Amino acid sequence: MKAYNYDVVVIGGGPSGLAVATKLAEKGYKVALIERKDELGGILDQCIHDGFGTKLFNKALSGPEFASVFINKAETLGIGIHLNTYVKNVEIRENEKEIVAISPHGIKNIKTKAIVYAVGCRERHQFEIKIGGTRPAGVYTAGMVQRLINLYGILPGKNILIVGGGDVGMIVARHLYLEGAENLLIVFPEKRFAGLPRNVQQCILDFGIPYQPQTVVKEIIGKERVEGAILVRVDEKWKPIPGTEELYPCDTIILSVGLIPYSLKLKKIGAKIDPRTKGPEINEFFETTIEGVFAVGNLVQIFDYVDDAVESALIAADGVEKYLNQEPKEKIIEFVPGKYIRALIPHRIEWKDDRNIIAFFRANIEKENAHIELRDENGNLLKRYFRRYIRPSTLERIEIPRELLQDKRQVTLNVSED
Amino acid sequence: MSQRTEILCIKCPKGCLLRITIVTNEVKVEGNECPLGERYGIEEIKNPKRIVTSTVRILNARYPRLPVRTSEPVPKEKIKEVISNLKNVVVKAPVKKGQIIVKNVANTGVDIIAERDMERV
Repeated sequence: MKAYNYDVVVIGGGPSGLAVATKLAEKGYKVALIERKDELGGILDQCIHDGFGTKLFNKALSGPEFASVFINKAETLGIGIHLNTYVKNVEIRENEKEIVAISPHGIKNIKTKAIVYAVGCRERHQFEIKIGGTRPAGVYTAGMVQRLINLYGILPGKNILIVGGGDVGMIVARHLYLEGAENLLIVFPEKRFAGLPRNVQQCILDFGIPYQPQTVVKEIIGKERVEGAILVRVDEKWKPIPGTEELYPCDTIILSVGLIPYSLKLKKIGAKIDPRTKGPEINEFFETTIEGVFAVGNLVQIFDYVDDAVESALIAADGVEKYLNQEPKEKIIEFVPGKYIRALIPHRIEWKDDRNIIAFFRANIEKENAHIELRDENGNLLKRYFRRYIRPSTLERIEIPRELLQDKRQVTLNVSED
Repeated sequence: MSQRTEILCIKCPKGCLLRITIVTNEVKVEGNECPLGERYGIEEIKNPKRIVTSTVRILNARYPRLPVRTSEPVPKEKIKEVISNLKNVVVKAPVKKGQIIVKNVANTGVDIIAERDMERV
């Protein structure tokens, strides 16, 4: 067994993990980066479309281009990069954490002061959306298809039904269309696409790809291979309307039905999980409820832009530094999602600092000329933010000046009624 | 004759809804929060352009496909032609990020470049 000792261990070599590791290495800490796969970059290696980095670098890069910026940095900074390494066990002790990891070079015993989890999210699969019928070959998740097309040049089928109107589904639909799928149809239960409006324009409307809102798959038909699907219309509450069933013949069904933070491992070591985001509860520097254990990127909540995920990692790097310097915490200010707010991070404010607090939230209504209000425990208005549009599909980012929160115990974020 | 359309700006993540009025030959853009939006709105009506991304076959590399893209946006109606021009392209590893894979693809004056390094294995 090989033994290692670091200041910080980052688990996960995707964009967020790379960002937090490089920033901490630049600050002079001894950093390790553990990646399960045999290369760094995470999901970006299969995201060959452009549009990454518009916030960070002010230009639209492709996924691999975005990743390479951080990979090159990580390689020159002397970070301990452990590829093909799987974290088997994490033990939390006061001021020290011990990781047991498995690799082709044997078992590694890694001691560290702080851990940053950056393990991202997983795709929801067919068993989570209650599709009836048989289970033949030809049912894929959208990310899997993206991988097949972009890394291996394999088209999974010719007549394709895509379930779900999220960003990944739309981007995959465009690739399938351009790479030679004959028939495509997208169905989703909402009235409108759930993904970013810019993707609706670039991926769907640009090419006239057919879609059918307020529709779900009732049943998959097929014995060996998918032969079709029974589609059914749904009402506003996503309840199937009897008598609206129709058979749609296809050879492939692609599910793009949402991403979920992969917080299983954090839960196992005792971190508190937020049922709204499905990620861990965090403070303003992305520290979980376990001291010295941080979480960043899509593991915390699903970000729309890799730029925002990377920002979360850069904020966390400052938090890790605070933890390693043993900076004292102040009292806790609770952060509560109020009316029309579906999810909100951070969950609490607890460090003394003078930087603005960066908060991300997702509304659950669609509204034009919306006001977002920050109120204290007595209902006093602290700050109002204006947005021309808010939509459930768009993750909003706000900055909160810290002095507004002095002597507060709890603050609530609402979307104003008027 | 005037014609009104609404399009969504894709220049930055803000995603302004542009309200566009076309009066014979003049394009008027409203709803944009920055000059990029106005330029995009006019271009989107007169000559819409997109970055095209795809893959080409690569030999002796860790994956059988190399991700590539156009170095500049190309006219929208050229997208299919750009993609079909890549069908029979085969390159050999190693390839460096930004390396030109196809020059002046589909006579657009734009090159196809590699999106990533791909080492020889």
